Amino acid sequence: MTLSTDALLQSSFLAGAIARSGKDADRIDGVAPRLVVEPRTPEEVASILAAASREGLTVVFRGGGTKRGWGRIPAGVDLLISMRGLARVIAHEHADLTATFEAGATLDEVNAALGRHRQWLPLDASGDGSTIGGAIATNDSGPLRHRFGTPRDLLIGIRLATTDGRLVKAGGNVVKNVAGYDLGKMMTGSFGTLAAIVSCTFKLLPMPAASHTVSAALPDKESVTRALVALNDSQLEPLAVELQAQAGRAPYRLLARFATSPAAAVAQAAQAQGLIGGGEIITGDQEAAIWRRYQGRAAASAGTVVRMNWLPAALPGVLALFETLAQAHGSVELVARAALGAGLIRIDGSIDWQASVIERLRAADVVRHVTIVDAPPDVKRQVDVWGALGAGGVISSAIKRALDPAGLLNAGRGPV
Amino acid sequence: MAATIDARFVRELERICGSSGIVREPLELLTYECDALPHLRAVPPVVVLPDSAAQVQQVVRLCSRESVPFVARGHGTGLSGGAVPVPGGVVIGLSRLNRVIDVDIPNRRVTVEPGVTNLEITRQVAPFGFYYAPDPSSQQVCSIGGNVAENSGGAHCLKYGFTVHHVIAVDAVMPDGELVHLESALTDAPGPDLVSLLVGSEGTLAIVTKVVVRILRKPESVRTLLAAFDTIRGAASAVSEIIAAGIIPAAVEMMDALSIRAAEAAVHPGFPAAEAVLIVELDGNGAEVAELFPIVEEICRRTGATSIEIAADEQQRARIWKGRKAAFAAMGRVSPNYYVQDGVVPRTKLPEVLERIRALEARCGLRIANVFHAGDGNLHPLICYDEKVPGEADRAVEASGEILLYCLEAGGSITGEHGVGADKSEFMPKMFTDEDLDLMLRVRAAIDPGHLCNPGKVFPTPRLCGEVPGPYRQHPAEKAGLAERY
Repeated sequence: MTLSTDALLQSSFLAGAIARSGKDADRIDGVAPRLVVEPRTPEEVASILAAASREGLTVVFRGGGTKRGWGRIPAGVDLLISMRGLARVIAHEHADLTATFEAGATLDEVNAALGRHRQWLPLDASGDGSTIGGAIATNDSGPLRHRFGTPRDLLIGIRLATTDGRLVKAGGNVVKNVAGYDLGKMMTGSFGTLAAIVSCTFKLLPMPAASHTVSAALPDKESVTRALVALNDSQLEPLAVELQAQAGRAPYRLLARFATSPAAAVAQAAQAQGLIGGGEIITGDQEAAIWRRYQGRAAASAGTVVRMNWLPAALPGVLALFETLAQAHGSVELVARAALGAGLIRIDGSIDWQASVIERLRAADVVRHVTIVDAPPDVKRQVDVWGALGAGGVISSAIKRALDPAGLLNAGRGPV
Repeated sequence: MAATIDARFVRELERICGSSGIVREPLELLTYECDALPHLRAVPPVVVLPDSAAQVQQVVRLCSRESVPFVARGHGTGLSGGAVPVPGGVVIGLSRLNRVIDVDIPNRRVTVEPGVTNLEITRQVAPFGFYYAPDPSSQQVCSIGGNVAENSGGAHCLKYGFTVHHVIAVDAVMPDGELVHLESALTDAPGPDLVSLLVGSEGTLAIVTKVVVRILRKPESVRTLLAAFDTIRGAASAVSEIIAAGIIPAAVEMMDALSIRAAEAAVHPGFPAAEAVLIVELDGNGAEVAELFPIVEEICRRTGATSIEIAADEQQRARIWKGRKAAFAAMGRVSPNYYVQDGVVPRTKLPEVLERIRALEARCGLRIANVFHAGDGNLHPLICYDEKVPGEADRAVEASGEILLYCLEAGGSITGEHGVGADKSEFMPKMFTDEDLDLMLRVRAAIDPGHLCNPGKVFPTPRLCGEVPGPYRQHPAEKAGLAERY
């Protein structure tokens, strides 16, 4: 028998961590957690997890709360552990281009600190307040993925709190290191199902000296394909290549960003403009504003957002599929890392229609790994959030049983 | 406890792999007694050479059923004893799985079997203007399967990353004999990134039978310089200033006086007689390289370079790299034997750690040459000794272990690219706590509950009875002139 909420609030395991009962704002797909705790140290996270194991309490971790829609509808949540109490920059070794942060630090906080030495952690925040730990757990990425990859590509070390109340590390503080299993990278995409991420060490990049973006409106998918082939076949090295469109509502918007040394940024943007066959070159505050707005659009939706992947050369087929999704009663928007074959689709319309679009995407040969990032609970009742996990699901479940034998972490919500 | 290999078991293996796919002759088995690590060896009772994923799967199934341990082996160029046979176990040689399955230029990926060499991937795509980025110095002979096991790097990983950053998907035979297809986080596959876990697991979690790697466009421009310095500290400060200027070179390599002398004696790259030389290479978009290269040159001058040679053409560049890449093998010109260490320190700690190595050199009476990836703090001290002088080999091993402790004290790692293998597992508890190691072992046990997949590697165990420690001996591949030690 589990403890009452009042008893939980009095529990000694909370050991000074800020605790309160769950409120409306804490709801996950309409389910309010019984208790919200905000530990302030890694040790508190570990002792709370040990107690949760002892008492058989289900646990959900929350960073900035920007990805709360990501996951199946929980049957119930005993403990919501907010990681925002752990938000320190532990070390910034600027001469070594590495830094260690607590997992609850937001990408904005982190980059504000790193910017003092003209360095950055080039990961996209998918919403205001996205945390580092959340980015790793969800394998989240945005336009910068074109150049820098996903969080795991920059992650060099991790510290975890496990369900048995231990604090353990893997990796280290150096950019090159092959000692032991790379459990940090394994945590990528684990969605809080294996352990709590309490801190992480990243390799950093110098901030580019200059940045220019070519923004072009292209009338149809044929011109998009032509422009992308020209860009990809060139020796240009963009930081990001993004494609955005509303199904059935031309034009397509192509954004190619070049951030490097000043003369090279100017030269590459001009060359890209030639290859794309038009568009304007934007820089300075205007450029920053465009990317902020672009990122914001990708994240916010009243309807469903799905993530998906395709082979880069399959883009014409993906665009053809996308265009068939247009209809009068709803809207479908594509936001894509066009040169990589990855992107998001936002679907707004009736619940049944949102669900049917997801099913159509899953049935299509041209795209794969169609997962729901955010959706109204009614959509999630109709379509599974994760889709087929394949052989990896069996192996991941075995790892899950080893790390979380009672199945408490993100119970029923996560991919494993 | 593991079962023993008897005649019936051997017949089963033969039935799976055919009579040409099984090695039983004692002389032939000697080829498999070690990898390119000199001092750990064990003659395996049997080696199988499957020529398909299905055969690998059947062999592993058989081993799993009979509780017989097994070790996957690529081309035996590993430097940490990762492929040293397990006593009483089967060696599964993957050299016959050497087909290039698909070269997909539009999608920028190549699918190969594990026995394909690293360089072969680049050869396949070079005509189209592409290359495979990770470039371990042994790339002409090392296998991609081995690269996956070790998460191999190379001189250019400062900018381009390691094997893990380039593997899109693998097919793998798991320890229970299941053949699975796994996709990495690069493909947005939901769930924990199992490919990242397998890459660098040193053959302890699975045997890959197919690897999909991404390929990169060959950079438009490459420029290389060789700068000589009076002091290591001067060379190190040049590296720091390059980084501080916001430049990430494709490679930054450093060699000290002894390794310069050895390289000169062996391959005559025309290096100046200096306390240290620095090789700095920038690559990428032409406009960018043209803008940044003069800055690098200026920094080298400002930090006290006594001479700077800029490669005017591909030939000159190749000559500079030949001097660097031959450095390990060249030690043979200045010392009868040598021991290669692989440790990492935060880059800014390089001068401090090198001073400690100098002090150690004086104390232990052995010369220590230093060749390293200065950009990422990956040291390769080469400890010179003479096996004919009693006690020197042991002193070399001791000195090499002490250097690892310096690396750890500086906040670094016991291995940057050669792996832990059988060689350095005893150092794992110095880098990780019991709790850290226990978590890794729990993950391992979840995937390999029978503890059959390359047991005794990576994690500390009592020394295996079949391992015979001893001084450096040439690997058969080296003897045959097929491989050099880098």
